[in-house]
Amino acid sequence: MKIIRLEFLKLKKKTRTWLGPVLVFWLMMIAYPLTVEFLQEKLEVGFFSVLWIAILISMMLATEDIFLEDFNDGTLEQIMIKTSSFSTLVSVKILTYWIFVGIPISILSFIFSFGTTEDLALSLMIFPLSIISSYIFLNLFVMGNALSLNKGSVLGALVTMPLALPVLIVLGKSIIAIQLNINYLGFIFLLLGCLSIIIVTVPLVVSYIIKAHLE
Amino acid sequence: MIKKFIHQFASPKTYLFQVNKFYNYIFFISVFIYISSIAWGLLFTPEDFVQGNSFRIIYLHVPASFISQSLYAAMAVSSIVYLVWRVKLAAYLVIAIAPIGAMTTFIALISGSIWGIPTWGTWWQWDARITSTLILFIMYLGLISFHNSFSNYEKADKLLSWLVIVGAVNIPIIKKSVDWWSTLHQSASITLTNKPSIDPSMLYPLIGSIIGFFGLILCLVLLSSKNQILIREKTKSWIKDYV
Repeated sequence: MKIIRLEFLKLKKKTRTWLGPVLVFWLMMIAYPLTVEFLQEKLEVGFFSVLWIAILISMMLATEDIFLEDFNDGTLEQIMIKTSSFSTLVSVKILTYWIFVGIPISILSFIFSFGTTEDLALSLMIFPLSIISSYIFLNLFVMGNALSLNKGSVLGALVTMPLALPVLIVLGKSIIAIQLNINYLGFIFLLLGCLSIIIVTVPLVVSYIIKAHLE
Repeated sequence: MIKKFIHQFASPKTYLFQVNKFYNYIFFISVFIYISSIAWGLLFTPEDFVQGNSFRIIYLHVPASFISQSLYAAMAVSSIVYLVWRVKLAAYLVIAIAPIGAMTTFIALISGSIWGIPTWGTWWQWDARITSTLILFIMYLGLISFHNSFSNYEKADKLLSWLVIVGAVNIPIIKKSVDWWSTLHQSASITLTNKPSIDPSMLYPLIGSIIGFFGLILCLVLLSSKNQILIREKTKSWIKDYV
């Protein structure tokens, strides 16, 4: 509980870190209709693709310096010396970032989806997809940033980006499933299954990666 | 006895000398098998009923695709060996295999695109198999650039090994993509559990080309790993005697 409270307070203070990605997401969603010549009813043709990519990019931005401050000020080394589990810290960090960034972006996804499609049922179905996919992307980019801890986040993010592409494919297929009213729950369970594996393995892998950096 | 063999072979010095001993045999046998299979496939195999002569690119495309995935699997196994047993030769192999894996994946993508034009009427389609193979190619490039960005070799080896293991999730996705999604790419003609769906007159040269191509790629891997050993062990006295 102490770690959760501490990470919560740390992130709350760093407004730019969590507000920036949310604003970038907001900007991308607003910019999309301005850049196309479609009429209102045709906006939804490309909307969902833009939505998933916007979530992906926002999560990438959110995790840019997730470990950097702790690495620079020696906090990570302290935790390594103490008996506390690294993977617990990583899990708590990811959860905190998801609460501050992932959930607001998912709520915004619902709002923009409703604004574009004017279909409440469709927009309500988008919400759980956004929630789950934002958490998955967050985990993947946290791993990327751990890999390139003191080398700038871009390299790590680029290296782990290919792992996010299958998730994008599933999200694209899920929209087709919603529109054709087939097997939507199957896609939710598939994403939940992926998330359950990622949520266990990524903190462990990240903790070993950070230990390798600190050795 | 097996443990002793593994310990001996895991030594870069022993590995280097063993590679020098067997390299020529592997190379010339592989060249013979591959050229014979290609000649058989190009000159003596009948035309396909639907595709005509364009199917003959199978003798390049299928070996390249199969080997590109196998090389990544080999990298993943080497990474596990390195992380668990700290065998540094395994780390050298991971770095040696990556560029060759990228090359074979590139060959698979290009040959597949060329085959796509007469068969599908398009050189590219964003279907599951082709997209996941492109992801594999991007991953290979990412691994190479990631390792090169570190000046500390040991740290780079450890981090790269973790990245390779995590990325190995893509291999079963590529393998099963034609079964899990409805794709333009056909499903596997040769499987472990079913009878091959390809005619024997085409199957045997295909198997020969896979074996020959595998041998040639193995030669490249051996040369690349030799290179890595010479670079990484350059301060050791036995290297000075070797060179």
